[in-house]
Amino acid sequence: MTMTRLELVCPAGTPATLRAAVQAGADAVYCGFRDETNARNFPGLNFSRDELAEGVRFAHDHGSKVLVAINTFARVDDVDIWKKAADAAAESGADAIIAADFAVLDHVAKNHSQIRLHLSVQAAAATPEAIGFYAAQFGIRRVVLPRVLSLQEIAALNRAIDVETEAFVFGGLCVMIEGRCYLSSYATGKSPNLNGVCSPPQMVSYDEEPGGTTARLSGFTIDRYERGQPVGYPTLCKGKFKADGRTSHLFEDPVSLNAGGMIAGLKAAGVTALKIEGRQRGKGYVSEVVRAFRKAVDAVEKGGEPLDIGRLLAGQSEGARQTAGAYEKKWR
Amino acid sequence: MRPPNAEPMLPGLFRQLFPAVAGLPLGPLLTLSLRSLARRRPGLFERLGESRSACFGIDPVDLAFAFRVVPEGQRSSVRVVSKDEAARSDVQIKGPLLTLLGLLDGTLDGDAMFFSRVISISGRTEAVLALRNTIEDAELRPADLLGLHGILARCVDTGVLGALSIARRLADKNPSGAREA
Ligand code: SF4
Repeated sequence: MTMTRLELVCPAGTPATLRAAVQAGADAVYCGFRDETNARNFPGLNFSRDELAEGVRFAHDHGSKVLVAINTFARVDDVDIWKKAADAAAESGADAIIAADFAVLDHVAKNHSQIRLHLSVQAAAATPEAIGFYAAQFGIRRVVLPRVLSLQEIAALNRAIDVETEAFVFGGLCVMIEGRCYLSSYATGKSPNLNGVCSPPQMVSYDEEPGGTTARLSGFTIDRYERGQPVGYPTLCKGKFKADGRTSHLFEDPVSLNAGGMIAGLKAAGVTALKIEGRQRGKGYVSEVVRAFRKAVDAVEKGGEPLDIGRLLAGQSEGARQTAGAYEKKWR
Repeated sequence: MRPPNAEPMLPGLFRQLFPAVAGLPLGPLLTLSLRSLARRRPGLFERLGESRSACFGIDPVDLAFAFRVVPEGQRSSVRVVSKDEAARSDVQIKGPLLTLLGLLDGTLDGDAMFFSRVISISGRTEAVLALRNTIEDAELRPADLLGLHGILARCVDTGVLGALSIARRLADKNPSGAREA
């Protein structure tokens, strides 16, 4: 079990957000290239090769690391796109590549042994056997844990493996075991794991109708809002659907993860790094969340009372419901 | 306190000044400033990707006119148009002028403004998202739009941002009164 200082890993969708996250106290920032090689391939987001190199310089000058997500799955006739992205990440001087596909892991292990390999959450590796396989084959140094494990399971896992673990603590939740959701592919033809985008904005429409606003994805109604009521992004699994004559959030309530109260527990369970989700979020949001978690992690590291993250982030939750997710799982 | 989706409308004094502004060649001036920005910071427009050629209808609800913007780098164009014409663009963004300016200079968060309905958006969602992310990263100051440098730039930034913040405070203090003005 590792007892080093917890590392705070923060999202950056643009160079400006990377700088904001570093200045707010991120130990590491993760980001991706502006193409389908990363799982947040949204319009206007992500980094060019030059921007990444500049971002790495900025982060290193301020004592932070940069982790590059090349974490979608390569296509059989286009593996080179993913390999070239890995080459560019290595050239930029970044500290780690986060990958899930065997082709990318293998390419990095064979050609860029100087850069750390982190296993992406997209690989959904949650057993000592699976993680051991990736460690033996590709020399991964860290695994990003799927958001389906309880604290007890994480502790047991950490006792059985000798690579670091990184756990999500804040942000949007993907309810499926990562990498295994077909909802977006079914409705839009675009897959989070192949094209890097779930519920793509190209297929989103907000239609003003007599009763209010209807949010649609690829023509499917995902949710309806009364006039003046706050609207949400129509992510498929968070939508309201009719089944058996009843309208409900059929797959998942639109809640987001907040495990701010579990930092000490995650540390005790042997976790090395805490990850904040949200590469699609703006710099104001990222700065505020990173600052709050910086304070909370520092308080835990000093052995003090845990801070109330909910209170620190009152301005950001805007009434949205939050959950500690599977970390305090009571079912099974 | 203002309810979350109440609109901080332009205070009466400012709104009365605007018909005069509308008489200025606002479209050509903004076109020039956008093109010169593209010359100085081409990377900014690359971030828009395919949405560079989209036509954005920007409709400040507290003004009598609207804008049609095509942010195509050095071929960018801005036209002052009627509200009806703006509504026929690929993307329509509607909201109080102070909010729209706040989004441009990064004072306000686009997501929060949209999801709480202070601004309304329709049309090509991917183009809106690309524009929002581009503006987020651009960290534009008023002087950037005017192509100013050095001390002059700092003075203009302080002056314009100061004036906007005063206007916002006035609007915040008395939103209903401002709306009637
Ligand atoms: S639809 Fe939901 S569960 Fe599926 S990939 Fe998207 S966010 Fe995850």
